[in-house]
Amino acid sequence: MTTTFTANQGEPLLRANKPVLSVKDLTVSYGSEAGPVRAVRGLSFDLMPGQTLGIAGESGSGKSATSLAIMGLLPDSAVVGGSVQLGSRELLGLNDKEMSSVRGRDMSMIFQDPLSALTPVFTIGQQIAEALDTHQNLTRDQVRKRSLELLDLVGISEPEKRLKAYPHQFSGGMRQRVMIAIAIANDPKVIIADEPTTALDVTIQAQVLDVLKKAQRETGAGVVMITHDLGVVANMADDVLVMYAGKPVEYGSVDQVFEKPNMPYTMGLLAAVPRPDRSTSGPLIPIEGNPPSPVNLPPGCPFAPRCPIAIDECTTAEPALVSHGDSELHRAACIRADKIVAEGLTFNDVYPMPEIPDRQQLLPREQRDSVLQVTDLKRHFELSSGMLRRKVGTVRAVDGVTIDIRQGETLALVGESGCGKTSTLLEIMQLKKPMNGKIVLMGRDVSELNNAQRRKIRSDLQIVFQDPMAALDPRMPVYDVIAEPLHAQGWKKDAINERISDLMDLVGLNPDHVDRFPEQFSGGQRQRIGIARALAVEPALVVLDEPVSALDVSIQAGVINLLESLQARLGVSFLFVAHDLSVVRHVADRVAVMYLGRIVEIGDVERIYTNPRHPYTAALLSAAPVPDPTVERQRERIMLTGELPSSTERISGCRFRTRCPKYKMLDDADRTVCDTEEPDLISEGAIDQQRACHFPM
Amino acid sequence: MLKFIVGRFVSYAVMLFIATSGVYFLASWFLDPRSNYLAMRPQPPIESINASLDYANINDQTPILERYWNWLTGVVLRWDWGYSPVGEPVSEIIWDRAWVSVQLVTISTVLAVVIGIAVGVRSAIRKYSAFDHTSNSISVLFLVMPSFVLALLVVLIYLELQATFDLHWFAVTGLGDGTFLSYVQHLFLPTLVLTLLGYVGFHLTQRTYLLDTMNADYVRTARAKGIPKNVAIRRHALRTSMIPTAYGIAFSITGTVTGALFVEQIFAINGAGLYFIETLSKNDINGAVSVAFLGGVATCAGLLLADIFVAILDPRIRIS
Repeated sequence: MTTTFTANQGEPLLRANKPVLSVKDLTVSYGSEAGPVRAVRGLSFDLMPGQTLGIAGESGSGKSATSLAIMGLLPDSAVVGGSVQLGSRELLGLNDKEMSSVRGRDMSMIFQDPLSALTPVFTIGQQIAEALDTHQNLTRDQVRKRSLELLDLVGISEPEKRLKAYPHQFSGGMRQRVMIAIAIANDPKVIIADEPTTALDVTIQAQVLDVLKKAQRETGAGVVMITHDLGVVANMADDVLVMYAGKPVEYGSVDQVFEKPNMPYTMGLLAAVPRPDRSTSGPLIPIEGNPPSPVNLPPGCPFAPRCPIAIDECTTAEPALVSHGDSELHRAACIRADKIVAEGLTFNDVYPMPEIPDRQQLLPREQRDSVLQVTDLKRHFELSSGMLRRKVGTVRAVDGVTIDIRQGETLALVGESGCGKTSTLLEIMQLKKPMNGKIVLMGRDVSELNNAQRRKIRSDLQIVFQDPMAALDPRMPVYDVIAEPLHAQGWKKDAINERISDLMDLVGLNPDHVDRFPEQFSGGQRQRIGIARALAVEPALVVLDEPVSALDVSIQAGVINLLESLQARLGVSFLFVAHDLSVVRHVADRVAVMYLGRIVEIGDVERIYTNPRHPYTAALLSAAPVPDPTVERQRERIMLTGELPSSTERISGCRFRTRCPKYKMLDDADRTVCDTEEPDLISEGAIDQQRACHFPM
Repeated sequence: MLKFIVGRFVSYAVMLFIATSGVYFLASWFLDPRSNYLAMRPQPPIESINASLDYANINDQTPILERYWNWLTGVVLRWDWGYSPVGEPVSEIIWDRAWVSVQLVTISTVLAVVIGIAVGVRSAIRKYSAFDHTSNSISVLFLVMPSFVLALLVVLIYLELQATFDLHWFAVTGLGDGTFLSYVQHLFLPTLVLTLLGYVGFHLTQRTYLLDTMNADYVRTARAKGIPKNVAIRRHALRTSMIPTAYGIAFSITGTVTGALFVEQIFAINGAGLYFIETLSKNDINGAVSVAFLGGVATCAGLLLADIFVAILDPRIRIS
């Protein structure tokens, strides 16, 4: 490695000569009905103490199998080969009992889903104590003292009280902090974090990553950070290893890999993600095709079928991971890497730019027709308990949402989970008189519709769901899936046939495949089917509920491009719900930021991303990881304290004030304003940016 | 916890009152004790029939609400459950009968739970082992066998053994003469049958629940802490997997009163199950209602126990 200090700590790292964890030629394979699955096919790396190695890759690339193999937690049916050395001790071949003395003491792990990773029937205190008692002989008092110390270290307030709490009383972010506390309880030499923040919101993700860095500092452990999120890698890692189809395809320091990727796959990954800190016009660059099945790998480079610069040689033998001249430590497994390094090729040279039709010249926004207008929408749920259904509280899921969407534009709705995004969508999709407020679709107030009119107007409003597998009936061929909304609108059979073949074409699928079942398609293709179904009845507005968040980045870019080209061709409007702020910046024209059931800021996407006025928007944007180590190193994050309050709580005045960084800096007189007056959405001048804040940034 | 149990008691009392009253009306509607007398040859005079029916408060010529009121005040004020059509007081019979059933069922339920969970846990931890395969096959055999077939089979096999080896260890009818030895001798075979019938369910469900939970993320977390696999399963998966079993145990109590009908019949044990059949065939309205009441009490006891078990096992319930 060429850098002699770690980026994260900003202090010199005394590099020991001996790696703390050394993996050599690791292989993992399982038996399956289709044949042996070769999940990991020869992975080697050395991890130095205090260093963070990022392992990046898409689903199925063998990241998780790697981490479980190192920990010895794979099921007995898995066959593991190669060598894993912790210090000088070989771990492969140890039995469960011998491994148990290593796990938790020398090497510990943080898992992806904090909600299911803690035993629901034991207290937090019991679970931390268990980790300590397994490896140390401590008195009850010592255990208690150490547990409090650990909880304090991972930033859990009132640790005394929290020790007696059960996991279900903790939010996801807090549970992940507890997981970190358990992982560092015995000062391990190696911490393996497998997608530790994937299930968390960006604001919580930033907090948890911070805690993880702190924990690493305290213990001096080497960290293996496994993630699909290149932004997290850029933030956390010193070195990065990119995996594809069970093999490392590129290895180097984060700066080398992010600045000068040598391998077309790495280039593609980096180019396929939009950036939250940059305005991008023009299409994203998708990687065509799908990752290969780990059962029947073709000979040669597994990426060759998707690689735009593959040559015949690529399909004959799998290239080794070797240096291609720019640095001894920067290695890539690619035949074409020599040419890439020598000629300094970038992704723009390697990947063809996809074509997206130009948008129709749109009239100025004010002159376009309004498609959806929602005014002061509210949806409260009563909580009751006991036999007599006593009212015990109210969930203010949606508490005064005002948005409007005009023809041909995309409005993105963003916010943390639990802020009321989905409730808002469902309320709009009902097309019924809301509890409070007004919903006007295509100029018609939905509360005044009768049932026949309501059915008719449904064709103007369609939805695409987050999980493309769950949203398609597995027993319905694609033809029936797409025909269903057409039947509901009373189309004739001939017209339906013709329409379906047009639609398949439109979303980039082969029209001959209409008699296939959803499971015969890949994730990205299934989402295209979902989009085709939504577009079948020619809606004016399509609601997209996290349409790309379940897809791998290389697939995601293709779907985003499809959405953009559909909008350009059909002039359809989108209401786009997402938590990924970089995707939002790329896709949306306008953005609405939601917090606890209310819109806190709404307006032109560029204006809001470059100059957020509401402190919440600013915090959200600063929490979003950027896939660029240089940017990540220099950024100042606005850390939000605490978690999203429960929507049953009634917060007087501005509901963000309990977490607001700005509020803390105000004097008492100004604070009284925040405490008592609920801010309205207001704008300054004629610009398209409104915020609900008394003291904007 | 106490407040919770008191609250449950109140709602169970209300439920029990409604259910028992409902049974009273239904029984009065369907059962026709007058026909017992009309079928007699020679037929008794109408006046004496009415007198007998009035004595038992089951005369269909008295308005139903009046009969209900008399019955209700009798039960509430004097704990008097009325008379059978021939004038025997129900209260004198029912408690003895119920006690017999409770002894029979309680012992076998405890055995069934202990054996069922033990076998279930062992076969889940050693999934696909010889033990797992054997125990599954045996359990499935008992599962598909109707209770009276199993009971008769046990009796037959025992009698065969007795004849061949001249053993007189157990008895196959009644409950004995009251000494402890005779009690054990008489209760052994019916308890064996009920245990074999009961453990199957606990074995198969406990095995499934534990297989579900032993691959849970939190068991993996425990192993990542350095706890050996089998300890992690016992400590972390077993307790969560017992929650659905606890419901099963509690609901099996529901069958305490009338659930052992076939076994009572085959082993000639005069329990509440047989009594229930007798009351129905003899048009004994008051008797049938009292059995229904006992069944209701058992159900409520089962529900309450289920709630308490689960509250002990699962802090999520306890706290919210």
